[in-house]
Amino acid sequence: MKIWENLIEDTKKIIPSDVQCEIKMINSIDSLTRFANSHIHQNVEEEMTDLYLTFHSDGKTTNLNFNITSLGSIDEVVKKALSEIENNPKDSSWSGLASKENSYDGYRNLSPENPDLRAQKVKDFIDQGGSFNGAGYCSSNVSNVFVWNTNGLSSSDTATSAFLDGIFRSETSSGSSHLGHKTLENIDGEKVGQEAYSIAKESQNPQDIDPGVYEVILGPDAVSTILVFLAVYGFNAKSKVDGTSPIEIGTEQFDKKITLVDDPHKEGALNFKIDASGSPKAQTEIITNGVPKSYFHTRRTSTELNEKNTFHEMFGWGDSFGGLGTNLYLQPGGISKDEMISNVKKGIYINEFWYCRVLDPITQVVTGLNRNGSYLIENGKITKPVGRLRFTQSFMSSLGQGNVLGVGSENRFADSEFGEGILNVPMLHLKEFNFTGGVSG
Amino acid sequence: MFNQINKSIDSAIGSGAQYADARILISKSRNISSKDGELEDFNNSENMGLGIRALVGSSWGFYATYDLSDKSLIEAGKKAYLIAKASSKVPGNDFPLADVPIVQDKYVTPHEQNPFKVSSTDQIDLLVSSTHEMKKLGSSIASGRLNFWDTEKWFGSSQGHEIYQNIIESGGGISSLSIGDGETQIRSYPQSFGEYRTGGWEVIQSFKFLDHVERLTEESKRLLTSPQCPEGTRDLILEGSQLALQIHESVGHAIELDRILGWEAAYAGTSHLQLNKLNEHRYGSTLMNIVADATLPGALATFKYDDEGTPAQRVDIVKEGIWTGVLTGRDSAAIAGVSPGGMVRADGYGRLPMVRMTNVGLLPGESSLEEIISSTDDGVYMETNRSWSIDDLRLNFQFGCEVGWLVKNGKITDMVKNPTYTGITPNFWGSMDMLAGKDEWVFWGTPNCGKGQPSQIGHTGHPASPARFKDVRIGVRG
Repeated sequence: MKIWENLIEDTKKIIPSDVQCEIKMINSIDSLTRFANSHIHQNVEEEMTDLYLTFHSDGKTTNLNFNITSLGSIDEVVKKALSEIENNPKDSSWSGLASKENSYDGYRNLSPENPDLRAQKVKDFIDQGGSFNGAGYCSSNVSNVFVWNTNGLSSSDTATSAFLDGIFRSETSSGSSHLGHKTLENIDGEKVGQEAYSIAKESQNPQDIDPGVYEVILGPDAVSTILVFLAVYGFNAKSKVDGTSPIEIGTEQFDKKITLVDDPHKEGALNFKIDASGSPKAQTEIITNGVPKSYFHTRRTSTELNEKNTFHEMFGWGDSFGGLGTNLYLQPGGISKDEMISNVKKGIYINEFWYCRVLDPITQVVTGLNRNGSYLIENGKITKPVGRLRFTQSFMSSLGQGNVLGVGSENRFADSEFGEGILNVPMLHLKEFNFTGGVSG
Repeated sequence: MFNQINKSIDSAIGSGAQYADARILISKSRNISSKDGELEDFNNSENMGLGIRALVGSSWGFYATYDLSDKSLIEAGKKAYLIAKASSKVPGNDFPLADVPIVQDKYVTPHEQNPFKVSSTDQIDLLVSSTHEMKKLGSSIASGRLNFWDTEKWFGSSQGHEIYQNIIESGGGISSLSIGDGETQIRSYPQSFGEYRTGGWEVIQSFKFLDHVERLTEESKRLLTSPQCPEGTRDLILEGSQLALQIHESVGHAIELDRILGWEAAYAGTSHLQLNKLNEHRYGSTLMNIVADATLPGALATFKYDDEGTPAQRVDIVKEGIWTGVLTGRDSAAIAGVSPGGMVRADGYGRLPMVRMTNVGLLPGESSLEEIISSTDDGVYMETNRSWSIDDLRLNFQFGCEVGWLVKNGKITDMVKNPTYTGITPNFWGSMDMLAGKDEWVFWGTPNCGKGQPSQIGHTGHPASPARFKDVRIGVRG
């Protein structure tokens, strides 16, 4: 990309030899078509080119970021950085720049999807809903990342994604569905609409049930919420450094049926194959048969914990966040949805969680609610839709030994409270889940 | 700048849009974080770009670009129109726009010291010394953060608006986290995630972090050995910053007209409020008087015009417990037949403006925290938010706080840990029977309100003083 090549050529000429410098650029076109009350009401596109510059000299570090318009002259930026760096205290956890050997060339010059195709996908969805009220979005994205540093590393990558996410609402119910893919043309709007409509239809006139401990079947979006909380608060090595992670590597903390990998090379994975240091990511075992195998490391956390870097530094996030896997895949089992339901004596099917918040990171006790489709299952059959329930439940225990009764046979990308496209998961059947409140509080 | 904006607007209107407006922003931010007496992150950020929205029939089209060349600006106007036009494949009723005054004006946030002109060494030193002291006193993790924003904004519309605003915001906070046997306990000041206001470096100086490091460290450690908050139904006394979040979640979001109209249904949700019950629905007790006021000097959501050029104003939301007002934009106000309240803002140049809370606050009562405690026989006083969760109708909520204090026969007795409370919005607000007065009324600010798709972060304000709620379910645990 010309703009990047020019910037690096200019930078090379002016960086003093005793200064370590890393420059990252994110160039993207994000488009999103939003619908509510069964028509498109907002339709947006943003083209951005943001730069993240890190300078390290005399044991001190400073970070600057600009978009390409506000950057002005790189000469001025370097002067500003070097003057600012003098004011900063020593950076004791500086872990250096990635080596030249880690360079990776993955840039592809791709064009964005067009708004007419997004509108068509929305129409395909809404047409499935009959008289129900449809709402949601169809998005598409092309992102390019570039990393250069004074060690001579030069890396780039390109990723694309498209999502259709929607709900249908009746007077008394709602149902949702979600699909993600690398390209918009592969999103089946009718399929997403049919699933959301079917859930909304079957969820009408929900009945209250008493709070308590229930067996549950969790749809992919609910499963992804549990995993993303464990990823951010547990497997993120920064939380281990801080002493707040419940994860102990090599200990049988989860049920044997749980195997989670982070694999940017898996067919259909949506996110970058390099991390924000510019280093290539590899397949990483996170949980194997219930045993935690690795944290998500950055340069700093791997130095602080004296463990091998897994290259999970995030583009656009500061060092205080840590690392996160963005191509997570929960190994499927062999149980179909119907079979899973038939295995439940008395339990609840939860399609989606909502507004989950951690009460204590070290116990991973989380509170939240259900939405967009929940049913009571009795003697292997769905018997009635159920209303709003609040849970207060440790997410560690929810996947703990003996608590996972079954893993679904089909995976799909699922939405989560921390974003879509980072988790590809099946349904789960759990033995116990603690609901602490109902509609009346 | 207005010449550049008008090139883009003219292009959108020339292409066929019935209305267009655009903003050019230069946004600076500085984020500093410290841990255990060391600098953890120091980041200066600056970006510049244009966002233009065009109205075609029943849809807004929006396009944002960092490229401010004439060619790009003209192209941006066309793209905004074409994106809006693509929506006609799935049309609704045309969007009307409520009338607002067409003004040309300038506004700068009143401030004493621009935080970007203050030495970063002073800012870093304040955090590093605060966290160093807490660590020395025995904190497991002592952390602190400062955030500053300086946003210059030029707004123009096809109706003739030309408004320049320079909004300056400052905030931050410190926390002591203590780690025990399988648990963590935290105490934060001025509130969890920090306290934020409009204004300069003087905002941070007013917090006097170092005066609080000893108390925070001692309390976070003591919480580890304190008993659990007892489970049951009791009187609940909320400190101001927790009440501010309660207002944000159970009032502020519920009164957003875009939610009530269903425009946010798939993501943020809708509302338990129905427009045909405006001026009738009982939201809470007669002590409950809520206003949305974007004119409060120093509060976080204070400005002179919103991102549609509508003047900032004070709007009654709840009067003596009756729901009377909503948060509006020009389109939603016209649909609902109410006055536009100047409550539409966007997160940077790259996002579509949407309905956002301004300073949605609870007007003070006539009591005091001391009187509230002395008149409580059996209750829990809770301070500083730790967790928050509410359903998508804004009815069923559960909050956790950092610390609880048992109140027995009019006196604070024991510290208790992991205090939580849960309730249903109108029942909860209906149980408010004591409210502290003006002396304890603080302009609490929330800098991290998420809404919209693509996601936007909003800065909102919530003036509040401590209050008491009768017979609340307390102490829910997993």
